[in-house]
Order: sequence, then structure tokens, then C-alpha cells
Amino acid sequence: MQSTSNYTRDRCVTGIHGLDEILRGGIPHGSTVLAAGTCGSGKTTLAMEFLVRGALAKFPESCAHFTATEPSIKLLENIRQYAFFDMKMVDSGKINVFDMDVLYSWLGLDKASFDLDDVHALIKAIINIVHEIGATRLVIDSVTTLCYKIKSEQLIRDFLFTLGKKLASLGCTTILISEITSATENAHWSSFGVEEAIADGIIVMGDVERMGHLLRFLQVVKMRGTSHSRAKHAIELTPLGVMLTPMLKWGAQHDKTNKVGG
Amino acid sequence: MYTNLVLDDRIAEQLAADVSLNSSIQVRCGNSNAFNVTASTLIPLMQMFEMGGVYICASVGAAERIEEFKAIGLTDEDISRIQFVDLVSSGILGGTDVAYTNIHFVDSPIMLESVLLRTLYILRMTTSARNFVFLDSVNALAIYNDDRMLAEYLHTFINTFRQREVLSVILNVPDQTPPLVLANLDLYCTDLIDRGQVLIN
Repeated sequence: MQSTSNYTRDRCVTGIHGLDEILRGGIPHGSTVLAAGTCGSGKTTLAMEFLVRGALAKFPESCAHFTATEPSIKLLENIRQYAFFDMKMVDSGKINVFDMDVLYSWLGLDKASFDLDDVHALIKAIINIVHEIGATRLVIDSVTTLCYKIKSEQLIRDFLFTLGKKLASLGCTTILISEITSATENAHWSSFGVEEAIADGIIVMGDVERMGHLLRFLQVVKMRGTSHSRAKHAIELTPLGVMLTPMLKWGAQHDKTNKVGG
Repeated sequence: MYTNLVLDDRIAEQLAADVSLNSSIQVRCGNSNAFNVTASTLIPLMQMFEMGGVYICASVGAAERIEEFKAIGLTDEDISRIQFVDLVSSGILGGTDVAYTNIHFVDSPIMLESVLLRTLYILRMTTSARNFVFLDSVNALAIYNDDRMLAEYLHTFINTFRQREVLSVILNVPDQTPPLVLANLDLYCTDLIDRGQVLIN
């Protein structure tokens, strides 16, 4: 009889309704997860709720959010509509929000493209901040915007691999948001093609069109270190946070996965 | 107390005798008695069992249903104990411009997963200890949804609320409900209130 292993990795319980069930308990601790999605699919909300649930946990975690797509003021203003978010978490330092533009200026990286030295300086700065505040949950929104400044595919690979490795050694579970234009079966889950290979996990978010109406979905297509559901789940962005339910199997015959701008 | 309508007391008696929080009741009605059967089921749940809950409007808009409930004597306080999920009004220009704050709009009756999630969200927000989910009605959903998808949905719907100890009440007009859906309702529901045959004196 074949022996079975009882070994399970420690989990970072996301606290997001339904997601921990899909992941059989949460994201394996220290993983770097790509949250890849089309515009308006709920990536930023999901990532912010991931931080909030960590900050509100029984043993509160320190959290960091690096924003590259919109100024932190605007991000916080948008997220305030959700009942799960309380500005006091930011004021008290449980959730630390950093503008990438400010970080670039601080590092002298106000330039169109980054070379190897710049990339290493950026990694060092992010790691120092994570270490300094003891962050165990991190979000970079978005890694796509950040990687636009890194011109070589090899350098992007090096950046993500080194960053992921160092964050894991600090016990930090990371969500890298990736902007994609299509969430169809044949699509890449990242803009540069390398992020998806480096990441420990990939959560895809998008819309399916059912008879002219858009229904948001979430699908975990990869998560190293745990078994997980690979089914598509319908999601709603409610004031209490993201909520998920499996998509109807017979709905698939009417559904078309949306391709934005295509 | 309830004017202009004689409630069917036998429904209240059946509810008192048979129903628990994790029950799922199929309520069959005809075209002409649908509102009477609805009121005769809903009012005892609120009065006898002191329940609150969610009323899913797929047949008529929620504002219209609320006005009908008020017309038979339900008070504003009674109405405030129900949250309405309206699947009709978003499809009507200006339909969502209503005065009631306890109406939640879903874009379309084909967004079945959204209806389930919205209902679960409302139940997370509610302060009532005992809750029902009243689906009005299966035959209205059948206009827009494929038979197999609707059967699958009702299976998920019933089990979701049974697991959470929320009473589900599913209204349907049997002769306007696809046979596959009806057969599945017979299979999944724990109780049947059958007023599908209307007797004419």
C-alpha cells in the first residue's frame, strides 16, 4: 500500500471569504503569488483585503502595500468605501502604504528604464522596508507597471526571483498584481511572460460574459505547496469584502471569457 | 389585521408542524393565487417564528412587491425586517430609482451566482437570529435560464442555505416550470406546500 505524507506547509490564512477553502487552508507561508487580472476584475480590492485580514488577525500581522498604478491617497480614498477597511489601520501603522514614485525619487531612480544596479537597489530598498516594519504580508500593485521600467526579460526574471527569495526568507507572503488584457484559457497570466513562471502561485481574475452581462470570476491556476481547487469561482465585491461561490457548470455553455480590448 | 386578503391558515399550520430552520420548502401555487400563497407563507414566518430574511424578486420589482405587502397591512417595521434582492428593475429604465433602502439590485436574472452571493452578503449583515430566503419565483428565473443550469443552481441554493441553517422557501407555478427543474425541486426540498391546483367554487 502506498504511504501518504501528512506534511503540510504553514499557511498564511488570507481571511478572504471562500479563498482559504479553495486553497485548503490558505496560501503557503512565504509564497509569492501573482494576482493576474483584467481591469475592473477586483485585483486591488482582493489584495487590500488580504492585508486588512492580516492586520485584523488574532495575532495581528504588519502589512505593506507598494502602489505604482495610482497615488496612495487615491488608493485609500477608493478603498474607504469598503466596510472591512478602517483608516485607523493605516494611521496606526498596521498597514503601511508606499508610493513607488516616492521610493524611486528617494533612490534616485527617476528614469525611464532600470539597469541591473537599479534593480538591485530597488530590491534592497523593498527588503529593507519589509524588514524594518516586520511585514509578513506584502502587496505590489502592480508588478506590471514596475516591470515596464525593466527592459530586459532576463532582468525582470532576476528581479522577481531575487525579490521572491528574499521576501520568503523574511517570512513574508506576497501578492504581486499583474495587469493582463485577457483572461482566456490561452492567455498569459502576466505581461512579460516571466512573472508567471517565477511566482509560486497564480490567481487569475477576470470577467465572463453571460448573455451580455459581465460576471466577475476568480480561478487559482497554480499554487505550489498545496492542493487546491482549480475551478472558476464567481466573485462579488461587497462592502464586507470579496465573496466567492463556484460558478455554475452549466453556465459555461453560455459564458465567454472576456478579452479586454481584443 | 391584514385587509383585503384572506390568508390560507392551513399554510401557517403546516409551517408550525413541519418546518425547521434547515428546511427547504417548495411552495407550489397557481397564477391566480400566487400572491395569496406568498403572503400566507411569509407572514406566519415573520409573525409566528419571528424571522427576518431575504426576499428575492424575480417575478415583479421589489418596490411593487413592498407596496402589495403594505396594501394588505404589513407595517414599515415588518417590511424593514426583510431585505429585497431585485432581479427585475435593473432591466427597466428608471426602475432602480426607488425610495426604499432595503432593496438590493442585481443586473439580471441570469446572474444567478451574483444573486446567491448578494443573499449571503445580506445574511452576514443581518441582526436577525432566524432567517429565511424566499425565492419568488422559479418560473420567472426559467424565462431567462437554461433548464439544466437552473436545476444546478437550485441544488446549490438549497444546500447553501440548509448548511447555514437558513430556511429556504422556493415559490413556483408548476405548470410553468420546466419538468427537469420541477423534478429536482421535488428531490431536494424537504417540504412541500402545494397550492398549485386552484379550486373554483
